[in-house]
Amino acid sequence: MSDNLDIVAQNVLWNRLISVCEEQANALMRAAFGAIVREAGDLSAGVFDANGDMLAQAVTGTPGHVNTMAASVRAMLAHVPADSLNPGDALVTNDPWLGAGHVFDFVVVTPAFLNGKIVGYLASTSHIVDIGGRGWSAEAASIYEEGVTFPVMHLRRAQTLNEDLLAIVTTNSRVPHEARGDILSLLSCNDTGVARLLDLMGEYGLDDLVSIASFIFERSSMGTRKALARAPQGVYESVMTLDGYDTPITLKARMTISDGSISVDLSGSTPAVVRGINCPLNYSAAYASFGIRALLTPEVPNNQASLDAITITAEPGLVVSAERPSPVSARHVIGQALPDLMLGCLEQALPGEVLAESAGALWTLSLSGAGKTPFSSLNVALGGMGARPSSDGLSTTAFPSGVGSVPVEAAEVSSPVIYHAKEFICDSGGAGRYRGGLGQRIEIGSRINEDMFMSAAAFERLTSGPEGRQGGKRGSQGKVVISDGTLVTDKGMYKIPAGERVILQTPGGGGYGDPADRDPQALERDLSDGLVSDEAARTLYTRK
Amino acid sequence: MMRISIDIGGTFTDVVAETETGLSSVKVLTTPASPDRGALDGVGRLLADLGKSYADISAIIHGTTLATNALIERRGAKTAFITTAGFRDVLDMRYEKRFEQYDLNIEMPTSLVDRPLRLGLQERILADGSVLQAPRDDEIDALADRIRSEGVEAVAIGFLHSYRNPAHELYVAERLKQTLDESVTVCQSADVACEIREYERFSTVCANAYVRPLMSKYLGALKAELNRLGFDGSFLMMLSGGGLTTLEQAMRFPIRLVESGPAGGVALAAHVAREVGSQKTLSLDIGGTTAKICFIRDGNPQTTRRFEVARAWRDVKGSGLPVRVPTVELVEIGAGGGSIAGVDMLGRLKVGPRSAGSDPGPAAYGRGGADATITDAHLTVGNIAAEGFAGGMISLAPDKAPSAIARHVQEPMGISDVETAAAGIIELADETMANAARVHGIELGHDIAAFDLLVTGGGGALHAARIAEKLGIRRIIVPQNAGVGSAVGFLRSPVAFESAISVMELLHDVNVAELSKRVVDQLSFVRGIVEEAVPADRVNTTVKVEIRYKGQGLEVVLEHPADTSFVIDAAQLEAEFIDRYKALIGFTLNNIPVELVSVSVTAREKRALSTHAFVPSAPQEAVPTRKVFDLAAQKQISYQIFKRASLGAAASHGPAVVTEDQTTTLVRPGWSVRASGEGHLILDRSLS
Repeated sequence: MSDNLDIVAQNVLWNRLISVCEEQANALMRAAFGAIVREAGDLSAGVFDANGDMLAQAVTGTPGHVNTMAASVRAMLAHVPADSLNPGDALVTNDPWLGAGHVFDFVVVTPAFLNGKIVGYLASTSHIVDIGGRGWSAEAASIYEEGVTFPVMHLRRAQTLNEDLLAIVTTNSRVPHEARGDILSLLSCNDTGVARLLDLMGEYGLDDLVSIASFIFERSSMGTRKALARAPQGVYESVMTLDGYDTPITLKARMTISDGSISVDLSGSTPAVVRGINCPLNYSAAYASFGIRALLTPEVPNNQASLDAITITAEPGLVVSAERPSPVSARHVIGQALPDLMLGCLEQALPGEVLAESAGALWTLSLSGAGKTPFSSLNVALGGMGARPSSDGLSTTAFPSGVGSVPVEAAEVSSPVIYHAKEFICDSGGAGRYRGGLGQRIEIGSRINEDMFMSAAAFERLTSGPEGRQGGKRGSQGKVVISDGTLVTDKGMYKIPAGERVILQTPGGGGYGDPADRDPQALERDLSDGLVSDEAARTLYTRK
Repeated sequence: MMRISIDIGGTFTDVVAETETGLSSVKVLTTPASPDRGALDGVGRLLADLGKSYADISAIIHGTTLATNALIERRGAKTAFITTAGFRDVLDMRYEKRFEQYDLNIEMPTSLVDRPLRLGLQERILADGSVLQAPRDDEIDALADRIRSEGVEAVAIGFLHSYRNPAHELYVAERLKQTLDESVTVCQSADVACEIREYERFSTVCANAYVRPLMSKYLGALKAELNRLGFDGSFLMMLSGGGLTTLEQAMRFPIRLVESGPAGGVALAAHVAREVGSQKTLSLDIGGTTAKICFIRDGNPQTTRRFEVARAWRDVKGSGLPVRVPTVELVEIGAGGGSIAGVDMLGRLKVGPRSAGSDPGPAAYGRGGADATITDAHLTVGNIAAEGFAGGMISLAPDKAPSAIARHVQEPMGISDVETAAAGIIELADETMANAARVHGIELGHDIAAFDLLVTGGGGALHAARIAEKLGIRRIIVPQNAGVGSAVGFLRSPVAFESAISVMELLHDVNVAELSKRVVDQLSFVRGIVEEAVPADRVNTTVKVEIRYKGQGLEVVLEHPADTSFVIDAAQLEAEFIDRYKALIGFTLNNIPVELVSVSVTAREKRALSTHAFVPSAPQEAVPTRKVFDLAAQKQISYQIFKRASLGAAASHGPAVVTEDQTTTLVRPGWSVRASGEGHLILDRSLS
């Protein structure tokens, strides 16, 4: 190929590789069990070169999968050397420290062989509804109670399925057939990906991916470097306090912006706790770098080079760098707080360009039967997003997670619960020139008049709401109360007695800029819509 | 006997008349303030050309973007929304999800109903259809007072679980109709979209109520004026789902009209596919700003009930208002003739979705546009000629195209010649469209290489051959009359009506007798609507069942003819589902129960294929040639130039271009071209 033709072909190929991943992810999404997994797009797919470096990834994935998956292929190859792999093999693990941070996430890696040689790998990861242990809560005292962990092993050897492994899955899971189906879907979506990859290599007459890989990596690191140059070099620090399981947790970041790269040290954060809200460093790194990249390099696609520009470190054994055997089931409580911590650093580097704090970690709403009728229902209760430097925050919309809620009708069809209300909370959005997104009030009871259990593992920001920026006020803090008078104060399990209801009030997003500067028309609209009260308009917005 | 179709689009209004001898058409400018004026002007001119009068018209078939525009521009009625107390914010909360992961500035669409007019009513139906709390008359009357005092023109009613039990919606609607002025429109969600998922159903009923006063008024006035002019034939409306319906139904469910234009385009494609005997057809319509893909099997377009209108954020998927009505399933790609090519911050070539539109348009239009577009790329490589572009309606400044490409693409990318840069733009656009087709085809479980590619729009025939090569497709169809395609498609569409019932129960738990009765009732309902316009013996009815493994998102659709003796056969449905699932995914799952998601019923007119024979003009005596740059060969090669009208049944071999007023067909090396008996171009790929 001539140089000219080469340039065109590389551009076309790059697009095609991303499309291969999209196809894989779409197929997985449709085959996944569990409404929340599908709503969440809690899965990802990527294509890797022969060194295990990620070339492209589906854009549908959640941040927690995006960045962890990039590292997991190499980590898995460290356990099973590439030269021991044969056509038809596939590897699997759900080790939180190699995969995506908790045992629910399975990663499957399949080598692509061309002329007897490995030319690349296809990887995909997805959240399996149940893998034994205590199920979804923060109650486990160690990883051993959280479910079955599979170290890196063959899921398939030369086209023969590892039925032993699948038997262990089906024996331990509360939803055995679904879990098996989800794992087989990962396998088949990788097979499709391998076939597509080989097709396109045939079409373009490629024997390997070396040249396209270096094209992608070169362009991506150049693009990242250019984009990062917008942020002044220097060292910036930020601190954040979370409720924790039952005692406050401090998260600390020291961010160093240098020429074309950013490194963040999370040392100084609170040591790992005895309940399952700890976060392995790989998952912390995934969310921390998402926060940085969403602000600074949103246009650069995910691949090894673009991810390499940002490094996240911490001394071992903290809530952000928990080590085996710390429990990690609800690791998103810590992980999803990190983007706001990163934005706190970047606010100093780029004042006036950074959105206010958001409600943070998804409030996972896990209800289960505590009476005669067994059931379990998983949904999310979402708070407000922080106000942006030139627009209001989005109401009841997760950030940084991309997970949406399950519709009330769908939730009520699949479980014996009744939602009695789901409405915006007046004045919950932090006051500001731009208002924070609103939180919501959700009221739920049993349809069959039986006791229910609720895990409070992810109800965070109950003591202080998300902070505003540039003079904007805090969003309202969250509150969870049971109608018998019980107030939720820690992340444990709570009982909702028959006939009672749980009332959740999610946090609002922080405001941006001085409330006195709010556009009077916008304030009048909020007043007439009932999103801001007369009193708040007078006291916070200084309306006459 | 003469039938006339009227397609009112954003810029042009197309009117087509079909008589025993063939088709004739006029194109007039749309008159946005009162769109009926342009339409009547067009009809009048066409009748004058043909020497006919309004009394000679047996049927008028109409499609319009009026409802869509009212939604986009928020020009609909002042609307109130009555919903279950505690849930009035469902319309604003939407999916509670960002539709773009890495864009922190996205905005959600604003609701069609302002929050103060979203009124909660104490009532509740549960998931099993039972009543927890019945609505009280005094509360309904209080809401009616409120609605009256606010000067509301339209009321949408949406209660939780009304898809399962619509009694409360019906009761409240009846009581409101008794107390409100009869000019106030009242719509119920279970009537408009009887499906589970409150946000989508509520959004659909609000959109329907919002456009109904406007559409009723417009359609009523148009019909009255036509009658005054002497027309007394049947008046039918084009639906988004590809069928026609009566004026009365269109006025009741105007939200079903939103995609009528594109549906007409697909209807034409489906008709042409039947004419040329194509059983598996991929239709691709490439316009000025976007390309649209639709799969057609046995002449029937793929349809869906998921659609969104009025996207609020850069035309990004997910930023619009969802409407759950039957719609031809189009995948839209941001690549058309006016799409802008450039280099992004990574130094990567990018084509679209930004578009130069028609004003200023591509650089070559010479109207001040400085951006390099796909059209500029075609001109630069020689795929199109400056002379005679768009039938001579637009004159091109040929030198402006290469200089725009040199500046925006060639130089930033370090490519040594402008032709390669231009060919690269086209190659990337082809790749983008082929990718979209590939991804969508896999979702539907199609082996895309077994399909024929049918192209329409100004750019379809220019891109077809290369896209076909990328997809392994061996036959391309370029229809006659593609320029007024949607309006011709209206004439080819059957009268049809579809209605869906949400079920969401395990197949083996379904109360077969009860559900079968509901389905049969719906069959009678849709048949009745179609029989308003078609004799009973020319109406077919079918039942579509959506079915899946419980807990999974992958829904398989099984469709069968059905009549009033229809009975659900759970065992047979399960067996069919397992077969289809295995074909799609490669394996089946054990011990997971199968769930019946929904049943939808369709009544459809049986239509005979009406075709008009095509007679080619005399073959060209001399065939001129022009130079076209070839990317793979890295040099110019000589293409023969054929006039479309001169092509007959004998095959001519590429490389060649086939020219006509509205488009140019590129017959790449390795392809041959001929005209079918109806005048459609058929390109075949030689077996090599």
